Amino acid sequence: MQEYLKEKSAVMDCKAIVNKIIHFSNVDGPGNRFAVFFQGCNARCIYCHNPETIGYCMDCLECLEVCPQNALSCVNGKVKYNEQLCISCDACIHKCPYHASPRTKIMTVNELYDQIQSYKPFIRGITVSGGEPFLNHNFVIKLFKKVKKESNLSCFVDTNGFFDKDEMLELIDITDQFMLDIKSIHKVQELCGVENSHPIENLEYLLKKSKVYEVRTVIIEGMDAEETVATVSSMLKDYPDVNYKLIKVHTTGMSGSRKEMIKNKIPDNIKMDQMRALALKKGVHKVECIL
Amino acid sequence: MKSTLEDIINTAVSDKLTYQQKLFNLANIAERLVDPKKILGYSEKEMAYIEKDMICDLNEGYAIYRPRYIVPDYMAFLKHGCRFLDIRPPEDLEELLDNLLILYHHVPSITSFPVFIGRLDLMIDPFINDEKYDYIRIKRFLNHIDKTITDSFCHADIGPKATRAGEMILKAIMELENPTPNMTLRYDKDITDPDFSQKAAEACLKVSKPSFSNEKMYYQDMGEHEIVSCYNALPSAGGAYTLPRLRLGTIAHSTSSLDELLNDKLPDVSEAMLSMMDKRIKFLVEKSNFFESSFLADEELIKKENFTAMFGIVGLAEAVNHILNMENKDEQFGLSSYGDEIAHKIMKKIQTIVNEHEGVYAERTNGRYLLHGQVGANLCHEDNFNTPAHRIPVGDEPPLPKHLKQAGQFHKYFESGTGDLFAFDQTYIKKPQAVMDIINGAMDTGYRYITTYLENTDLIRVTGYLIKKSEAQKVTDGKAVLRDTAIMGEGTNQNARVFERKIRRNGL
Repeated sequence: MQEYLKEKSAVMDCKAIVNKIIHFSNVDGPGNRFAVFFQGCNARCIYCHNPETIGYCMDCLECLEVCPQNALSCVNGKVKYNEQLCISCDACIHKCPYHASPRTKIMTVNELYDQIQSYKPFIRGITVSGGEPFLNHNFVIKLFKKVKKESNLSCFVDTNGFFDKDEMLELIDITDQFMLDIKSIHKVQELCGVENSHPIENLEYLLKKSKVYEVRTVIIEGMDAEETVATVSSMLKDYPDVNYKLIKVHTTGMSGSRKEMIKNKIPDNIKMDQMRALALKKGVHKVECIL
Repeated sequence: MKSTLEDIINTAVSDKLTYQQKLFNLANIAERLVDPKKILGYSEKEMAYIEKDMICDLNEGYAIYRPRYIVPDYMAFLKHGCRFLDIRPPEDLEELLDNLLILYHHVPSITSFPVFIGRLDLMIDPFINDEKYDYIRIKRFLNHIDKTITDSFCHADIGPKATRAGEMILKAIMELENPTPNMTLRYDKDITDPDFSQKAAEACLKVSKPSFSNEKMYYQDMGEHEIVSCYNALPSAGGAYTLPRLRLGTIAHSTSSLDELLNDKLPDVSEAMLSMMDKRIKFLVEKSNFFESSFLADEELIKKENFTAMFGIVGLAEAVNHILNMENKDEQFGLSSYGDEIAHKIMKKIQTIVNEHEGVYAERTNGRYLLHGQVGANLCHEDNFNTPAHRIPVGDEPPLPKHLKQAGQFHKYFESGTGDLFAFDQTYIKKPQAVMDIINGAMDTGYRYITTYLENTDLIRVTGYLIKKSEAQKVTDGKAVLRDTAIMGEGTNQNARVFERKIRRNGL
């Protein structure tokens, strides 16, 4: 199985598993952008809205049984996906026991760049997201190098903040701007199942390099939102161009078990106002609340 | 199309038309009562193409007494005043706005309302000296236009440079939410300040105007020009005598192959339409005495030498789909690269025929009439099967990135104007810069004109003109409404489902 995962996962330097591409996105950084969502994430956040991007397909074939369009079939023991037949009903990803999707594509840097190239006049940049793009760091470095060599498009990374910066210096160096999550100060393990992470150090490092476009915190009760917002806000006060986005956790589109986990943790709008006021009081210049 | 005496009675007793609409409709019916064969010399063949709905004369009439589109030189009016109206050049903003409202009343067109009311920001900006009170005056002026020029083919231009007046105009149109005047930002990314263009994009999302015209491209093709009516680019201090259109869908349906269409039918119908245009223009210039009796001509606010004529087309999509069907191809216009090839063959054929024709009284455009991507109308059953210009029919639209690229390749043919429009979802109101990226891309890839609006707004662009959906609903309910364009828009929507355009979000 390990070998199989290697074949499909981030270890491939020249290929990556792409969950989705949005050719024109207006929510993944400034302006109109080409957004790439990689498969695979190193976090397991309890409020994740795209859990199908977390894991890797194990070809268990369970999804074949639930596809109403017969868009999924079995070829040599592996899942084959027919995009033309798919109606995006998401039955397959709801069935998947591995938090994966059979609708991914393995793409090379050149294949991805060809698509970017064809929409170049209409976009101002590309954004890689996920899953977690740092898991594909070698691929992203190659992609960004190509984009920068052949265009003046900006290159953004949207990350969960759980990476070791000392191992990622080359990617940080070539990336124009980051959008990153600061999920919690003390409850990361409980919230995201991640140990020994250093998102605050990473934020500090990226801020000093003027590489931060936006920081996001999902506000969820019982997960030290106040301390998280206060800490991040203190760091952002000297960076007037950086947007701080406070997102009220919500359950729309979530699976039943996830809904159950967070149903008592949804903050009211008064709490959101308090969080915004706190950020502003601490000196953040640009605060955006998503209710 | 010829009219009948019955049309007069029906119009007179209508319970849905206002007095003013009846008056103008009766005048139009009168123009169409006379026999075009007698007064203009139309041939039997030319008449047959009208009667078969292959050529549409947009009910321009046959006893012609004014050019279809008149584009006055308002700067000359500001500088010299007007002897006929006994108006002196304005000395302050109030005089300027008053003078303009007076002149608008005397600018004819096919609608009897002015289709061009000037480059408002350029005219107004030198007179601004009190931002607070001048803003109130500008807003009142724009509102006055909306309530008295009751036809939203009335068009104002702003830009390409940002001005204080331009900023005030953008603010006022967003507050007023009026259909009239239609408006264009003449956009050149090397000249137009990005903050100004972004504000214009925001206004365009909220109130469906201003649209964006490609100033560089039009200037290269046309020289001194104005954007008038829907999105027509016409010579300054002149205009266009006439605009008939080919219904390409209807023409194609009478053929059984691409070869027959290109080499037989299309040349024959095109030649007939060109001949009709010649005859119309000759009557207008030589017999109607328009240029002899108009003070606009006498005082050189317009010059006969600056007029041209527009050769319109609609239904490229249906023509291509018919050929694809004939060739048993399971493809459709908008999603088929082979379909695009067919479309180019059709357009190149028409372009060659039109360019080789020696037009009359068209020296401003080197004796050539100019191709126009006409926005459509609702005049006969066949208009259900002829989508505006080269557009993809509503309901068949591909995802936005593909749609943008498909549409842009046809703009080059239409020197006197064409345009594409895209409806965006609410997320774009927070990101007008994303809309500007799309507009910049469009201009860089050969678009002449692009516009947008936000889903769920009342004020929307039907094809090239603006109406309020709430007004169209009144028409559906059988009530009289202020603007004739609401009546037209309602009819067009019934046919072409323009209120149901695909809403663009997440790149779809």
